[in-house]
Amino acid sequence: MFQKYKQLACCCIAFLLFIMLYPYTALSVENDECMDCHGDDSLERIESEGMKEGLYLEYNKFKYSVHNVNGITCVDCHSDIEELNYDNEIPHEASLAIVNCDGCHEEEGEAYLNSVHRKAKGKGISIPCYACHGYHYVSHLEADSVFERENGFCLKCHNPNKFHDWLPQKETHFAFVECTVCHAPEVPRYINLRFFDLSRNKFLSGEELLKGLNTDYDGFMPLVDRDGNGIISVNEFNDMILILRHKEVRGTFHGELLVHLEPIVHHVNRGGANRECEQCHIPSSPFFQDVQISLNKPDGTTAQFSVERDVLETYYVSHFYALGGTRIRLLDKIGLAMLVAGAGVVVAHLTARIVTIPVRRKRKLEEKV
Amino acid sequence: MDERKMIYIHPAPVRVWHWINAVGIVLLVITGLQIRFAEMMNLFSLEEAINLHNYIGFVVIGAYGLWASYYFGTGKIKLYFPNPKTFICDCKTQIQYYGMGIFKGDPNPHEMTPDNKFNALQKKAYLTIMFILLPIQMITGLFLWRIKKFEDYIDLLGGIKIVDTIHVILFFFFFVFVFVHIYLSTLGHTPLAHMKAMFTGYEEHH
Ligand code: HEC
Ligand code: HEC
Ligand code: HEC
Ligand code: HEC
Ligand code: HEC
Ligand code: HEM
Repeated sequence: MFQKYKQLACCCIAFLLFIMLYPYTALSVENDECMDCHGDDSLERIESEGMKEGLYLEYNKFKYSVHNVNGITCVDCHSDIEELNYDNEIPHEASLAIVNCDGCHEEEGEAYLNSVHRKAKGKGISIPCYACHGYHYVSHLEADSVFERENGFCLKCHNPNKFHDWLPQKETHFAFVECTVCHAPEVPRYINLRFFDLSRNKFLSGEELLKGLNTDYDGFMPLVDRDGNGIISVNEFNDMILILRHKEVRGTFHGELLVHLEPIVHHVNRGGANRECEQCHIPSSPFFQDVQISLNKPDGTTAQFSVERDVLETYYVSHFYALGGTRIRLLDKIGLAMLVAGAGVVVAHLTARIVTIPVRRKRKLEEKV
Repeated sequence: MDERKMIYIHPAPVRVWHWINAVGIVLLVITGLQIRFAEMMNLFSLEEAINLHNYIGFVVIGAYGLWASYYFGTGKIKLYFPNPKTFICDCKTQIQYYGMGIFKGDPNPHEMTPDNKFNALQKKAYLTIMFILLPIQMITGLFLWRIKKFEDYIDLLGGIKIVDTIHVILFFFFFVFVFVHIYLSTLGHTPLAHMKAMFTGYEEHH
């Protein structure tokens, strides 16, 4: 009975949607039409200063951009083109309106208001979203490493070597800590673990790693997280490595400190970063609480699985060590034992020396006699 | 009183090296503790502790250069090498002395001379320290000082955590060594005799 109603309801909704969308899809301009002209790599125009500006768009790259994949067309962004009028030499306005990314990305647009980059507008410097993100070939950032995230963004405009002379090991920091971890401190951050295959000498993609474990994305947690508490413990981590070794997959986990891609990642402000090393370099630091294994997918997204923080203190993550912060506590215990043993020997020997003073004094007297 | 003659046991370069090294190691231990246990100690900020540790590290490496050029330059490095024929036996008698004889007032079985100033146990200990442990500590320290620059070597050793582990274990060793070493220096014929000698160069001989 109920099933029947559901089917009927579905049919009605589908029909309504069709009616609503039909005229729109029919009238909207197809990407192909734009590409008739903008797919020609010789299409360019002379700017007022005599510079040439290319008007060519690589459709093969555009095809794989997040926007095209999510059905966003040319005119969704270039929204002031309502139709193409082929009577004119140029079938649309020669000077089109600026694309408003924040029309669709509202939360990001709002967060961006609280950024030194946006505030520069007061000084006449305009830094639109696409100055950082690019526009036609935007991809998901999630799976990008620190290196890719920095190169694609901050390093396009800033040379960080100029500003961080106070920072010990600055190159290492830049290689393992995303700029925004320090410069947008409100953003939640996490330690991202990626598997580096030592024999193939490369980071394994999610699929490659799953193949080694003989499972898939859905099977990963049930296989690895055996107690089913949703987080991979040190023992479970250990067993996962053993399974991989069994399949002749040998490697180590590399760690790096990334931000979660939330809108407030845009809150980069002058003086926003804090140079107190102790924020990170103590074991109770909040920076190492959230640890994730990332299985990267080809489309630039990633599947992440929580890992216990203690895994950072093991030798499975031997290429990531935040001084003090992720130190191996066992070593401290060994050190303490060495100290106690050393001090014990000294104290015992000293006590024996003091206790036996009369013995030696007597012997000296006897020898004198 | 005449039977007490002074012998010149520690030449000037050795004394200079020794005290630079001693002060250096003590400071390295203190700054090292601050770096590793930033949450428990508050002598310096972490930034200061790291910078100090780096500077002092280079001073100690420089001092090691002084030690090596003196001892190898003069050929006196022989002092550090035990005589393989008598080594085991010498060790036994020396251990017996420290564990028993010294309490009864027996004389030290090892007679200190400028050509043979260390007993068998000292030779073994100092040889290990000066030829193995201290160099390893200096090299791992150097790697940790510029991780990016020495990336290839660090990877070769198995990663930053391995290098750090070596440096930390040896750090604890030197920490303990300083205590034990100072205590052992009080085992001369008077508690301050060895210590004085390391300043003046002269040890009283009986
Ligand atoms: C008949 C060829 C033709 C077609 C079809 C065409 N354009 Fe253009 N387009 C041009 C030319 C020529 C220019 C350069 C205008 C100039 O000289 O300033 C241009 C410029 C542009 C510009 C830059 C405008 C600016 O403000 O600087 C954009 C954006 C653009 N086109 C988008 C589109 C989109 C989107 C479509 C499809 C809906 C499209 N074009 C279809 C020929 C074409
Ligand atoms: C995600 C939004 C978005 C989509 C989708 C998009 N564009 Fe653009 N496009 C922009 C932005 C932003 C600019 C840069 C404007 C500027 O530099 O002032 C731009 C610039 C252009 C230019 C000027 C030349 C250049 O590269 O700077 C052309 C031509 C153009 N777009 C054509 C197209 C065509 C054709 C399509 C569809 C195949 C398309 N755009 C899809 C956002 C978009
Ligand atoms: C017409 C609406 C629309 C416009 C305009 C638009 N986008 Fe998007 N954008 C989308 C959609 C839909 C997605 C895919 C949704 C998703 O995966 O979160 C997306 C995804 C993205 C992503 C990937 C986010 C992620 O999850 O990794 C970025 C970055 C992005 N857009 C940047 C821009 C920039 C920069 C502009 C301006 C040049 C822009 N967008 C303009 C609709 C739009
Ligand atoms: C498109 C170029 C561009 C990109 C990309 C860029 N910035 Fe900036 N940034 C600027 C400009 C221009 C200013 C100066 C603004 C002003 O003077 O008010 C600035 C200012 C800053 C400041 C303030 C300090 C200063 O020198 O004025 C910080 C901090 C900063 N950026 C960090 C970042 C970070 C972190 C990233 C990467 C997430 C980044 N920027 C990406 C152009 C850029
Ligand atoms: C370990 C944290 C940290 C990381 C990582 C970091 N920064 Fe910084 N950065 C700071 C701090 C703290 C300051 C402020 C220094 C000061 O007060 O002198 C600063 C200063 C700056 C400034 C000058 C800002 C000003 O107010 O004058 C810029 C620009 C900048 N950083 C860009 C970057 C970029 C780009 C990256 C990534 C490659 C980056 N930073 C990575 C902590 C960091
Ligand atoms: C405050 C710390 C120290 C004090 C008071 C001290 C004291 C002494 C004394 C009195 C001697 C000479 C006595 C003997 O050889 O038996 C000596 C020798 C020596 N000490 Fe130290 N020492 C200190 C720290 C260190 C440290 C940190 C090291 C090495 C890491 C070190 C390495 C040596 C060595 C190798 C010798 C033999 C020197 C030689 O070649 O003559 N000492 N020390």
